[in-house]
Amino acid sequence: MLLVLEQILWTGFANATFYVLFTIAFAIILKVVRLWNFAQAGMMGIAFYTMYAMVNLLNWPGWLALVLGMTATVGAGLLIELYGLRPLRRRHSSSLMFFIYTLIFSELISYVLMLLFGTEPVTLFPSILSPVRIIGGIAVSDWDLTAVSATAVSLLVLWLFLRFHRDGQFLLAVSDNGELAELYGISAQRAYLVAMAIAGVFACEGMYLFGTRAGVLPTTANDLMLFAVIGTLLGGMGRLFAAAAAAVVLALVQSYSVLVIASKWQSLVLYTFLFIVIVLFPRGFRLPSLQRRRVVQPAVTEAKA
Amino acid sequence: MGTFISRGVRRRTVLGSAIASAFAGSMPAMAQGDTLPLGLAMPMTGSQALFGTDQVRAAQWAADDINKDGGVNGKKMDLIVQDTQANPQVGINAFNHLAEINKVPVIGTAWSSVVQAIAPVADRTKTLALSIGASSTKVAHLGDYVYTTYPLANVDVTALANYVYNTMHKRIGAVLYINNESGLEGGVVFRDVFTKLGGKIVAYEAYDSNATDFTGMLLKVRAASPEVVHIQGLTADIPQVMAQMRQLGMNMQVTSYSAGYNPRLVQQLGAAAEGFIVTSLAPGEKDNPNLGAYLERWQKVMGRKPNGLPYTQYLYDYPYIVKSIYAWLEQHKLPATGENFRKGYVEIREFDLPLTGKLIVSPDHTVLKPVYLMVVRQGAFVPLATVS
Repeated sequence: MLLVLEQILWTGFANATFYVLFTIAFAIILKVVRLWNFAQAGMMGIAFYTMYAMVNLLNWPGWLALVLGMTATVGAGLLIELYGLRPLRRRHSSSLMFFIYTLIFSELISYVLMLLFGTEPVTLFPSILSPVRIIGGIAVSDWDLTAVSATAVSLLVLWLFLRFHRDGQFLLAVSDNGELAELYGISAQRAYLVAMAIAGVFACEGMYLFGTRAGVLPTTANDLMLFAVIGTLLGGMGRLFAAAAAAVVLALVQSYSVLVIASKWQSLVLYTFLFIVIVLFPRGFRLPSLQRRRVVQPAVTEAKA
Repeated sequence: MGTFISRGVRRRTVLGSAIASAFAGSMPAMAQGDTLPLGLAMPMTGSQALFGTDQVRAAQWAADDINKDGGVNGKKMDLIVQDTQANPQVGINAFNHLAEINKVPVIGTAWSSVVQAIAPVADRTKTLALSIGASSTKVAHLGDYVYTTYPLANVDVTALANYVYNTMHKRIGAVLYINNESGLEGGVVFRDVFTKLGGKIVAYEAYDSNATDFTGMLLKVRAASPEVVHIQGLTADIPQVMAQMRQLGMNMQVTSYSAGYNPRLVQQLGAAAEGFIVTSLAPGEKDNPNLGAYLERWQKVMGRKPNGLPYTQYLYDYPYIVKSIYAWLEQHKLPATGENFRKGYVEIREFDLPLTGKLIVSPDHTVLKPVYLMVVRQGAFVPLATVS
């Protein structure tokens, strides 16, 4: 039984990687741009089918397809910001308009992709099998190792970028208080573009991992988005890495739920989480001890002052 | 192609539906004496258009071929097409249009949800509705005027379960099925037939249509040690389930139904697909000599194979069924009404069709067709057996 639990833990963890990447892409836009970016599904579709065309129609190597896919996705993100969101902001449009705009963008892209690539599920590479080794009784595939390490590296790079790079720090400043940041000479517009670019990179990386393991349809990205939304809500809006952790927890809960309920109810588990989070934790789930520490910190600062 | 484009699509898009209705309404009246109308309600737009348009094309080619060979006693067949978008509401409108305005006595249609939606209209207008591709077993219970030319879901899965038990001598099985109508129906059929024969189903698991990680479910199945695993899924998820099975060291026999009959699956799984058994409800090139010329025609005209080849084979045969009924009506000097069409379809009972072979109509609104079992050998699907 222990082996079964360990196997589910490992494969659930590996399977969570693309969800983590989608969640980060969604959460960073919400944090910086303060937008529920449902256009991300369209960006994910563009990412996958660009790579698919490179690999399957032009016979280009996977790494080059990934680079060009990222370029296309980042480009799409920048266009969304420049020619969609910015004019809406200029017109002081309501948040409903932003919501509708992002949603329609994704729907439009999925129909265009359907027109171009059809409705048959396709994978990025002809084969979805990767070599497997048994480590401590657990089946570990090369895909698992690639996915886990690529996601870990991406998260580390993002953390370093936000902490040490000027643009990363500006992102955090704009996310904290955009108007104040502008007073200090930080361009919020530039921060929005950088956030879109980061979202594009993460969305594309996620689709690369997903597309090497499972069949993709033009509408697949819309389904995958649900996970990102719940992860972001559960992690707490504006808390990027907590959202990523929430995505891992969700994936594991889904995987383990099969042991107690039929696997056909896995989506119910997700929706139950969504419902509970919205009702009970609208600002995200926070561990009590962390909350306490946060409360204490300002008091100490005040005392010093 | 010309006929259906001018009637069904181009006119609708160019002139608008109102003008189209007016024209469509007047045409059959003008042509009634010289042509033999037959309706087709298929998805020409929307998410299923990729398949629908190819199926309509196949039917149009058949009507053209029949007309080239002299039609029915010199009268030409006139295929009139309406778009359903594979949507029940749009399907009802399309069916109504064909039955009430175009006054066609017989209408071919597909997609289970559409067939179920149009059934009351078929009964009310007394128009024979022939389901050509909907596999839901509910199709057999949709009223007096709904018949099928396509074997329902239980036919191929029953044949497969019989083969697995009787010929392969497997006694312990597991069923994995997707949690939708086709998955549920097929899963139940395999389980019940296999159990009735004396076999034992040790795991019976459904999975969500959005699932990507099947590890937990598969580990439960692995613990039960079945000799054979039947997957009743869809084209998208069957390869994933199989890939994860093989990666978890589950090397037992795997079977599926026609959704698994997809050459791309063999590519995706490579050696892991070897021995995989699926069903096909339409004969392949080796079973039917006409199929080679049909595929060549696709290559020549469209530069590709048709999307959903077996379904297009059934659609190609549809005008031939109607041709036989028209000939029967002329022979019996009966007017071409829906009631007489229904009578003719049931009384003729046996049709010898160019691309799908013999069709036997049962009084219980189902049809009997041979089931072709295919197996993956050396990286390709090859015929394994034909179950009559």
